[in-house]
Amino acid sequence: MKRKHAILAAIAFGVFMLVPLVITKDYQLNILFRVFLFAALGVAWNLVGGYAGQLSLGHAAFFGIGGYGLALFHSQLGVSPWIAVVLAVLVAVGAAVVIGTVAFRLRGPYFALATIAFAEVLRHVVKNLEITGGDVGVQAPALFTTSVSRSFYWSAVILTAIAFGIVEWAARSKFGYYLMAIRENEDTALAVGVRTPRYKLYAFLVSAALTAVGGALYASLFLFIVPDQVLAIDISNEIAIVAMLGGAGTVLGPIVGSFILESAAEVFKNVFQEAHLLIYGVLIVLVVLFLPEGIVGAATALWRRRRSE
Amino acid sequence: MDILAIERVSKRFGGLRAISDVSFTVGENEVVFIVGPNGAGKTTLFNLITGFAKPDEGRIRFRGADITGTSPDAAARMGIGRTFQIVQPLRNLTVVENVMLGAFLRTSSTAEAKRKSEEVLGFLKMEPYAHKPAIGLPLAMLKRLEIARALATGPKLILLDEVVAGLPTAEALALAEILKRLPEWGISAIGGVEHVLQVVMRVADRVVVVDHGVLIAEGTPAEVVHKPEVIEAYLGPKYKDRIS
Repeated sequence: MKRKHAILAAIAFGVFMLVPLVITKDYQLNILFRVFLFAALGVAWNLVGGYAGQLSLGHAAFFGIGGYGLALFHSQLGVSPWIAVVLAVLVAVGAAVVIGTVAFRLRGPYFALATIAFAEVLRHVVKNLEITGGDVGVQAPALFTTSVSRSFYWSAVILTAIAFGIVEWAARSKFGYYLMAIRENEDTALAVGVRTPRYKLYAFLVSAALTAVGGALYASLFLFIVPDQVLAIDISNEIAIVAMLGGAGTVLGPIVGSFILESAAEVFKNVFQEAHLLIYGVLIVLVVLFLPEGIVGAATALWRRRRSE
Repeated sequence: MDILAIERVSKRFGGLRAISDVSFTVGENEVVFIVGPNGAGKTTLFNLITGFAKPDEGRIRFRGADITGTSPDAAARMGIGRTFQIVQPLRNLTVVENVMLGAFLRTSSTAEAKRKSEEVLGFLKMEPYAHKPAIGLPLAMLKRLEIARALATGPKLILLDEVVAGLPTAEALALAEILKRLPEWGISAIGGVEHVLQVVMRVADRVVVVDHGVLIAEGTPAEVVHKPEVIEAYLGPKYKDRIS
């Protein structure tokens, strides 16, 4: 990362960490938690979906494993909530190995369909097992007991910063170059010696681990989770859309995307009531039609053109 | 010693015999050109050598080791670089960043990859383009970019598929002058061309002519162009007697 960018990122992080001094209402902090949670999830998704170009529409599986892992390891094994988060992340990584090994044999839309299938199967399994509480769901332990809303907000900002740091490093290193080569042309990647299945899997594992942490935070804030909420295809879509709206394959894109999408969703929900989903849908269609590279992608292209003139 | 040996290799696609019983060798620091009309099997041969396709019969040896049916990425790691007929740069990346993709095969350091890439770009006389976006380069430079990326992997043998196709003659000859210097880097090369024989005459130590998947002639460029089989393949049977 260029020095100037590193300083800017550090300043932005500092400012966002200080936000709870100004905004103190739980309701508002919880909206901001959601903004940063999906920013982090979008950044993590972007490694697979944006950089490596493998359209995963099943990230709800890792999100759900994070939430259920926190709940079940705590209630069944009696470990502390934070240890339960660590164990949940390990399970998510294990699941990513299994899903990735199978699904990466498929290319393009078939890969996307396979990821949807895995997440849906997991949702149905969780709905039907006794240990996971079936349809009713499970209770999740609290990760924070004092200054709850503030602490969750801070956790989401820190998770975003960690995900941002990983992707920013990757984008400038051999790892990121290899992922982009896989996205652009898998044959070219092979011709320069890239072990393509291995690199796709690495990206998937990192992405799954971060997504599971996000799922655990979400579950712990709400203290109770049900399969149709945390393992739903809506979660998978929202993660992918946040990244694509902001700009898949750009470091900053998903963060910008989450700010716009999550605040727009909040406004629409209040103003348009039930029609908000319709407007949300129209917004997505407009972006896909007119900004296929996302907001940050389009802005970068415009800025480069200006500079070269 | 031969760096590459193709031994009685055949490849069928369904009922089509794309390559039939082809054998030839490439020596150390030698530049061999595979010449043949469109559809003669040049690209298939390249795919067989680099592991993008597996031969039905025959063996392929690289520096003495049997590499028949190896995977493409393994072939690259062993030291076989290649370019593709259709150039495919990474969008949104600059020229030097595109070349770094190749250089990362031998180093994990971004700085070292960049240094190596700049060296390769210098060799190909592409320095003025190094920091320009790869998208929007003229075709001649895109072709060179493909070569640069393959060279950056540090190959012992480089395969250049249709390396001058679509280039104006002046560009093609300029590129030929550069390719002639590959042996200075300890690199052998196999080039594939359809008809730009001026380039072949200048650069090739040896020429292998294929037609309909069969090797029909082999020799120095001067020898090969006078062979009746070659004239027939290119111009049709009625010219065979008239010219030779």
